[in-house]
Amino acid sequence: MSGRGASRPQNAFMDQFDLEPRTQRVWDLNHAVWFTLMGLGGGVFLAGRGLNLTDGLGSLLGVPTVDVVSFVAIAVGGVILVADLGRPLQFWRAFANVRTSWISWGAWSDLVFLTVAGLLVLPGLRLGDARPFEGLGWDPHGGDGAGLALEIAAGAAAVVVMTYAGAVLARPRSIPYWSSPAVPVQFFLSSSATSVAVVLALEVMAGVAVTAGQMVLLGLLATALAVAVVAHLLTGANVPGKRESLERLLRGRYRCVFVDVVLVAGTVAPALLGFVGAAAGGLRGALAVVCLVLLLPGGFLLRLITLRVGIFPPVHLPGGLAMKAAGARR
Amino acid sequence: MVIDAERCVGCQACTVACKTENQSPYDAWYAPVVEWEAGEYPDATLNYLPTLCNHCEDAPCVTACPSGALKRRDDGIVMADEDVCIGSRACMAACPYGAIHFHDGRAAVSGGGPEPSVPERYAHQRHVAGAVSKCTYCAHRIDYGTENGLEVGVHPLATPACVVTCPAECRIFGDLDDPDSNVSRYLADKGPEQVLRPDAKTGPSTRYVGLP
Repeated sequence: MSGRGASRPQNAFMDQFDLEPRTQRVWDLNHAVWFTLMGLGGGVFLAGRGLNLTDGLGSLLGVPTVDVVSFVAIAVGGVILVADLGRPLQFWRAFANVRTSWISWGAWSDLVFLTVAGLLVLPGLRLGDARPFEGLGWDPHGGDGAGLALEIAAGAAAVVVMTYAGAVLARPRSIPYWSSPAVPVQFFLSSSATSVAVVLALEVMAGVAVTAGQMVLLGLLATALAVAVVAHLLTGANVPGKRESLERLLRGRYRCVFVDVVLVAGTVAPALLGFVGAAAGGLRGALAVVCLVLLLPGGFLLRLITLRVGIFPPVHLPGGLAMKAAGARR
Repeated sequence: MVIDAERCVGCQACTVACKTENQSPYDAWYAPVVEWEAGEYPDATLNYLPTLCNHCEDAPCVTACPSGALKRRDDGIVMADEDVCIGSRACMAACPYGAIHFHDGRAAVSGGGPEPSVPERYAHQRHVAGAVSKCTYCAHRIDYGTENGLEVGVHPLATPACVVTCPAECRIFGDLDDPDSNVSRYLADKGPEQVLRPDAKTGPSTRYVGLP
């Protein structure tokens, strides 16, 4: 077998002639990056709007900073997604199969989000001293009917943007570790917690005080993420394919990164710090920044490791032999 | 298709016949025969399992494909249109059988082999870099046979190359919906029928008998 690395596609020569669990090599680093960026982009928009922080955290060309961060994350994520396609110039075909494909849903939600959220902030756009789109008439902060309608539509698209990557993994039954609603839930919660931390860090940078309620929200989201991750680890632990995934996560090559970095440092610690920050008024800003520093790499590694422990069980299980082979190969 | 796993001798003739017929990229094997050892000396055995695309009724590759490149024909054959494929590889992640292959363009296409068995149909041998390809049950041969009045699954030119070439006759091809077809009769005679990865609930059209 050639040793071109983990991103080598699934069809590496010898794999196909062995009756063994096979690690998926279809998606890897690039996907983990765009999964993270898409989740962050949708989440920052929702967190900024949900916490009513579009005003007061600064702006770029009249566009609220939180929205700029959101657009940039989704645009960069989209570019990475397209660049990773086998035929990037044919990317427009990704919109074709909305009936069944989550990737098509994702493509549409990215487009709808960028279009509607872009329209929403357009009246506030400042080019020099001019605001060329002021006449559009709605409030870019969603303070009137039209602005609110656009905000709700963009928010709905943002939820799909945050969720669809997980849904792409969860829908087919081919890889048991992925085939669970827990995966999109984890991705959504990770994006939500990280996005709230990003918005709180922007507050700190803008000199705005972080409130106890915001820290509690951060703590609750990180706690929910920890619960979702642990629940997924405890469910179906003996299913062929998932068993090997768990083995790698909890005892094998990814134990240190997954348990120590993703679970403890990237999830449990921010949850605790969120609640501590709610009680410790003077430390809130610093703790919010620390939470972001922990959540962002934790969320990225959660996605990367989820991809890397995706294992196809053998196509046929003759009396547990394949499992023995898996042990030998790990 | 019905595969009688008990009859397979592991010669890989089907694997090579498929490659020759479809001129698949070097690292793509549409019909590999999987092998594994069982038991311990002196009762050890070497087992073989011919595999290929299962042409599932509820094909997860078709569901996952964003571009609509993967489609199930009326006769149940799942086809990949390489010109429409965008290379998202969602189908590869969705397929429980590892039956879909990405042509990254780095591996040269085989070529230089014998002329296609059905000269009128050679489009299946052209593979697009950045797209996926897969077993088509040799749809070009099935279509050729149908158009020329040949009995599918019986006449060699109207039967998948792997079936024609198998010296042990462990692959049988025909219409599973027809109770009088060769495959239906074989299943009735040798059953019970089995499928690979039943947990995936894909409704495979490739059925097995005699799985160890």
